[in-house]
Formats: sequence, C-alpha cells, structure tokens
Amino acid sequence: MNNKAICPKKWVFFLLLVPGVAWYVFTVIVPLLGSLRYSLFSFQGMRADKFVGLANYAELVSDSIFWNSLVNNLTITLLCVIGQIGVALVFAAMLNTTVVKLKNMHRAVIFFPGVLSMVIVGFIWTIMYSNDYGLINYFLRALNLESLILPWLDDPRYVIYSISVPLIWQYIGYYMVIIMAGMSSIGKEIYEMAEIDGVNGWKKLIYITIPLIKSTLLVCLMLCISGNMQAFDHIFVMTNGGPGTSSSVMALYAYSKTFTQGRIAYGNTISIGILLVSLVLILITKWIVGGRKTDGYQS
Amino acid sequence: MGINLKKATGSFLMNGILILFSVSCISPIIWMIYSSLKTSPEFNRSIIALPEKLIFGNYVDAFRISHMGTYYGNTIFNAAISLVLVICISFVLAYFLSRFKFKGRNLIYFIILFGMLIPIHALLIPLFIQFKTLNMFNQRYTLIIPYVAFAMPFSIFLIESYLSGIPIDMEEAAVIDGCSFMRMLFTIVMPLCTPILTTAAILQLFTKWWNEFPFALVLINDEKLKTIPLGLMNFSSQYSTNYPMKMAALVLAILPVILIYIFFNRKIIEGMIAGAIKG
Repeated sequence: MNNKAICPKKWVFFLLLVPGVAWYVFTVIVPLLGSLRYSLFSFQGMRADKFVGLANYAELVSDSIFWNSLVNNLTITLLCVIGQIGVALVFAAMLNTTVVKLKNMHRAVIFFPGVLSMVIVGFIWTIMYSNDYGLINYFLRALNLESLILPWLDDPRYVIYSISVPLIWQYIGYYMVIIMAGMSSIGKEIYEMAEIDGVNGWKKLIYITIPLIKSTLLVCLMLCISGNMQAFDHIFVMTNGGPGTSSSVMALYAYSKTFTQGRIAYGNTISIGILLVSLVLILITKWIVGGRKTDGYQS
Repeated sequence: MGINLKKATGSFLMNGILILFSVSCISPIIWMIYSSLKTSPEFNRSIIALPEKLIFGNYVDAFRISHMGTYYGNTIFNAAISLVLVICISFVLAYFLSRFKFKGRNLIYFIILFGMLIPIHALLIPLFIQFKTLNMFNQRYTLIIPYVAFAMPFSIFLIESYLSGIPIDMEEAAVIDGCSFMRMLFTIVMPLCTPILTTAAILQLFTKWWNEFPFALVLINDEKLKTIPLGLMNFSSQYSTNYPMKMAALVLAILPVILIYIFFNRKIIEGMIAGAIKG
C-alpha cells in the first residue's frame, strides 16, 4: 500500500490530485452545504436575503402536496420493485433453463429500452397512450375491449399507474441482466442434484436460486429504490405532475416550486427533504435485508 | 407421457412469454420508425398501416425545424469533453487511492462514497443557485462541470478495484530504470487499464451524458446550447399534433443509440452489469 519507491515528488502528487478533488468538491459538496444554508433563508431574487430559521422546514412538514409527492414516489418505487425486479427475476430464471431458445437475442432486445433516454421513452409512451393515435387504445379496440379504454394520463385516479408502466418497461432488462449475471455463478451441480431429488420448475427458483443470489437481489433492490426516488424525466415529459398535482413526485415538486413559482428557498428545502428521505430509505433497506451475506458472488 | 406433455407445455409457454415481451420491447420503436415515413393525413387514417410509399419529408422538416443539428453538436461536444476529462481525472484519483497512503486519503474516500448516496435531484437547485451567482449559468462549458463530477465516483471505484488486481512490480521496475512518474502513469499503467476505462466510458455515455436531462433543463436555456433531450422537449410542445413529424424527430434522436447498440450490445450490457455490481 505504501509504495515509497514509485511515489512521485510532492508537487507532482498535489498537481495531479488536487484538480479532481477540487472539481468534485465544487460540484457536489459545496452545493450540498449551500443548500443547507439556503434552506434557512428567504430569498430576494437570487440572493439569500433574510434569515428565517426553520420556517421553510415548518412549511415543508405541513405541506400536503409534498407528502403527496412522497407517497407517489413510494408508490412508484413499490410498483417498480414488483414490476421490475419481480418480472426480471422470472425472465432471468426462464432464460436460465435449457428449453428457451434465442437466449442472446432476448437478452439484447429486452435490455434495449434501458439505453434510451428517459425523455424519449416518456415521449414514446405519451404517443402510445394517446387517445386516438395511441397503440394501446388501438389494440384494445381491435380486441373489442373498448370498455377498458381509459383517459390514461388524464385521470388523477390512474395516472400514477400509467406513468409507472413505462418506467417498469424500460428497466426490466437492466435488472434481468444483473440477475442473470448473479445466476451464472451458481454451479450446475447444485441444479443437477436438485433435479435428482425431484425438485423442479418453480420450486427450483424459490428454494435454490433466490437464496443463492440474495445479495444480487439486494443490489437490485437498492438500485431500484434509489433510482425511483429520483423519478423525474418521464413524468416531467408525460404529465408534468398533472392532472393537478396527482402525479407529482418530490423532484418535480422541487423543480416547479423553484422555477415556475420562483420560490428558491423553499425549492431548496424540498431538495433537503429528498436527500433525507433517500438516506433514510437506504438505511432501512440495508437494515431489513442486510446483515446476512449468503452467496459468494459478491464478497 | 404426462411428464413429457407437461414439459412441452412449459417450454412452449416460456418461449411464448419471452417472445411476446421481447416484441413489446422493440415494437414501439419499430412503429415509430415506419410511422415517421408516412404523411400526417395517412397516419390519421390508420395508425398501424404500413406507409404506402416511403416519404422522408418528415425527417427533412424535423431536422430543419427542430434545430436537431445544433442539439446533436452540443450533445456530442459535452459527451466528448466529459469523456476525456472523467477518464483522466478518475484514473489519476483511482491510482492514488489504490497505490498510496497519504493524509486526507480517508477524507477523499468518504466524500466520494457519500456523494454516491446523494440523489442528483437534491443538488439540482443548489447547483443552479451556485452557477447563477458565479455567472457560470448558460455557458458552453456549464454542463460539463456536473457531468464530470457526477460520473467520478462510479468511475473511480470501478478503476480502483481493477487497479488493485494489477501487481505493482512493473511500475517499480520502470521507476528504478529511471522512468519519470508521469510517463510511468500514462504510458505504462493507463494502457493496462484500457478494458476498465472503456467499460467506465460506455457506462457513463449511456447512463449520463447522451441521455441526461435534469441538469440541462435547469442550467441551460440558450437555444444554441441545448442538448438533444432538452431540445426535443420544446420541439415536441410546439408541434404536438403532427405525430409523424414528432416521431421523425424522436427517431433522429435515438438513431445513433440504436446503431451503437446493434454493434456493441454485448460490451454495453457487460459494462452496465459491472457498474451496477461494483457501484
């Protein structure tokens, strides 16, 4: 670790080290500290004007739209955990069997939406959901299921589900390839032995595969939670939080407070809220699932 | 017999489900591509029919009206500069973190790890205020600053774990033979790291730079500096009724991604897996 022989002169050392660290501190740490400070002030234009103590936080705690947005974030996260990781797990298990053909093609095709920009996926699905020109309603009409046609993005009751679908659709492949990588580390002998003992199909998935890839699944869970706490692009494009605030999420709410209503200090306070909620959720997940490392795949 | 039948049904079902889902993953894109070759009235008559004859007018219009050329230029500019900077900076930092013990090493570690836990949306607004106050808002270099910074933690940890698998002997030998530190770093160690550097670059290209939206939205409002996702945003709101033209613009935006994906999907998927697991 302490490799004196190759250690460069002090000034070279600093010359190489400082720019990167400074760049990072300037873009990540300074705004973070700034944000904590700004949240204690009221703003006049772009200037922190008057110290108001915890007034912004008091407003945040009693702001029903903020809590509503948080609930939306949590709903989306829950739907995505089930829809993305759950489905991805089933697909990965299917692709792990010998009977499925065209494995590489499936892998490449299912992963594909994951490389598209979320903005573009948002646009594509806005068109798909469109009442007269959308593929979804077209197929429902073609199948004589016109009664199922809904104003997908315009009804406050369903909009949160409608916007979760593209999110789930886009990233199933992402979780699928991660889970497949985890599964590939399980030895073939384990399955062979299980088959001799008469374990088959679903039982194999539930009693052998899942316990053996637990830490991979934990990685997926953490990625899924932190990813969906940041849901923003799709929703910004598809509904911009509407109708009303029914599909608003925390990041979107902070954005609209700051830029459409010009309340910079309050927007900042919401940012701190996002940070706290994310950290708490990560800790909770770690606490619930963590502590038990079961597979050797990720040490 | 019963077991065989059950197996056959199972295999039929599994293949069927996967094929159905795979089709659903690309059909919206394919629909968009061929619909963009229709005229607007033709599309309105039937949204699903194939075009009667291929019309590229939508593309010409979309390209002209949407300033797609400018957006392309800006996106490529940001991505290219960020790429070079992130790779160099992360490589150097990762090298120092993996090879030397020095004062402040733990502190650097801590802030980088902590930075990974911060959701970028928590920093959008404070960064906007900071940039606005320092007059760094809406400049050609503006987006490169957050793009590089937020790509650093991931890249540093990827490269560092790769470096820890490379024995130090070669570096020691080079230095003993009189090779300068800089030369050793960039002509001996860096080439050894090419595989992981490519992985890091690919990962960032697709997850951050090409598709990035929130920072561009908040930090840029000059038409001349807009990136592809941001530019599509106002194009789309202006021409919301002409679906084929809108689709043509979307296809233009994703065409390079599709082409790169067709040729490099294995490498891209591997990169994403590595990033997810190490990150």
